[in-house]
Amino acid sequence: MKQTPQLEAIQRAMQPGAITAEGFLGADPRPLGDILIADEAAVRRLGLSHARIAGRMRELAAAGSRGLGLPTAVPPHFEVAVESVRGKLPCPFGHAGVYPKTNVVVRNLASGRQIVFTDLNIHLIAAHGFYEGLGSPFRCDPATLAEILEIAPEPPEAPAAAAGAL
Amino acid sequence: MLTAFLISVGVLCAINTLLALLMVLAEATIGNYGSVRVTLNGRRELTVDGGKPLLAALKEHNVFIPSACGGRGSCGLCKLTVENGGAPLSTELPWLSPEEQAAGVRLSCQLKVKRPLRITVPEEWLSVRQFAARVAALRDLTYDIKEVRLQLIDPPTIDFKAGQFIQFEVPPYALSDEPVYRAYSIASDPRQRGEIELEIRYVPNGICTTYVHRHLKEGDPVAFNGPYGNFYLRESDRDILFVAGGSGMAPIKAMLHQMAHEQNPRRTLYIFGARARRDLFLLEEMREFERRLPRFRFVPTLSAPAPNDGWTGATGLVTDVVEREVSEVSALEAYLCGSPLMIDACVNLLKKKGLPEERIFYDKFA
Repeated sequence: MKQTPQLEAIQRAMQPGAITAEGFLGADPRPLGDILIADEAAVRRLGLSHARIAGRMRELAAAGSRGLGLPTAVPPHFEVAVESVRGKLPCPFGHAGVYPKTNVVVRNLASGRQIVFTDLNIHLIAAHGFYEGLGSPFRCDPATLAEILEIAPEPPEAPAAAAGAL
Repeated sequence: MLTAFLISVGVLCAINTLLALLMVLAEATIGNYGSVRVTLNGRRELTVDGGKPLLAALKEHNVFIPSACGGRGSCGLCKLTVENGGAPLSTELPWLSPEEQAAGVRLSCQLKVKRPLRITVPEEWLSVRQFAARVAALRDLTYDIKEVRLQLIDPPTIDFKAGQFIQFEVPPYALSDEPVYRAYSIASDPRQRGEIELEIRYVPNGICTTYVHRHLKEGDPVAFNGPYGNFYLRESDRDILFVAGGSGMAPIKAMLHQMAHEQNPRRTLYIFGARARRDLFLLEEMREFERRLPRFRFVPTLSAPAPNDGWTGATGLVTDVVEREVSEVSALEAYLCGSPLMIDACVNLLKKKGLPEERIFYDKFA
């Protein structure tokens, strides 16, 4: 993807000290456009879509929020805690509004693996296909998300009905 | 041919040098706003270095405005009314309601002082001070909550209302290249003026909590400013309901110290939510408050006690216990501290029970 001036400006907003102290890119030296392309390809290889991944994250966050901040069991074998810290963050892509600094901690009790994501992560994936740069503390690797959150591939699309069929 | 090439290179270099010089000159002249006057609450004149964010300029004059993000415009706490501040920047808009924008409210971390300004700061912020302190003791209250006791050095004492918070300064370290500030409620007795206690829960990837839990040592010098906040016990004869979870214990504990000293006779119920026995802490201290305050009752509740906890106390979420224990709200005041989810759920429940919102006070971690 060509690194447009808009992407350049967004990448600047993702640097450490702009919106967050640690930024969104970690030690990733790639242009933002390349990061987006690479993760888009990874998501496709998994047979998933950004919307499906974000939807699963949102679903688990909503189930976990019933614990009012405490870890809560979510069937079939997840434990989810939705923890809030003070502050809210704007979207580095410039979307209106701010996102609460909410950490969703999901433990897959079957595999023993855990991942932490935020409300802003969900938005960045759903709206921009952005999973953060390699080495970023809140990087949500698509394959890791798919494995821990047990996100099944998209069902194949049903063949379109033939035009004119009754 | 070669001569023409060399001349071209020379001309280009000269142009570049000239442009660089012009930029340096512009920075020193156009970008130099000199000293600028800031009028505070119509009566105090400050002379600040122009071009700086208002938040930083005020801090240099020992006027501390609450800010939990270190001036990045991501906490929305540092709002001030600026009579002649102009329109807010796009970075401020998410934080400002239309009414605030119309009233001239700005985020002081985003507003650069380029011309004389007239600002209004809440009076209570003018008593906020910067403190140098030393870590007197560190204690693990649970596996993820640490008690940090700070001995004040300069100034040597602090005056605060039980329930208020301070902003702890994290110096630059592996996770941050610059100082970062985070807000924590004071847990200690307000009469113990020479030191304060904080209860800090570890947050994964949190800059401040990682620093406190993994790097801070006894004897380390630290800095903070405060006190801030309007979460404190109101004077009345009403019954009191405290609800907290996790490190939300801190301001309630400070209020209990105050009540114990005053031998406060108000009937008080404190519901504290945790997941399992290992998440509970300060139980002995709470029992001691029960001995000192005959009308005080502490009810810890576990949402998912472990099989080997041997727990015989209350179970369920704090809202379940509020539902069971609170039936009459006509003479009740509620003080809530914890996660926004917990507070929102409690506020909704208490309102449903008929408690007017103006008698519900809370300190939301948001």
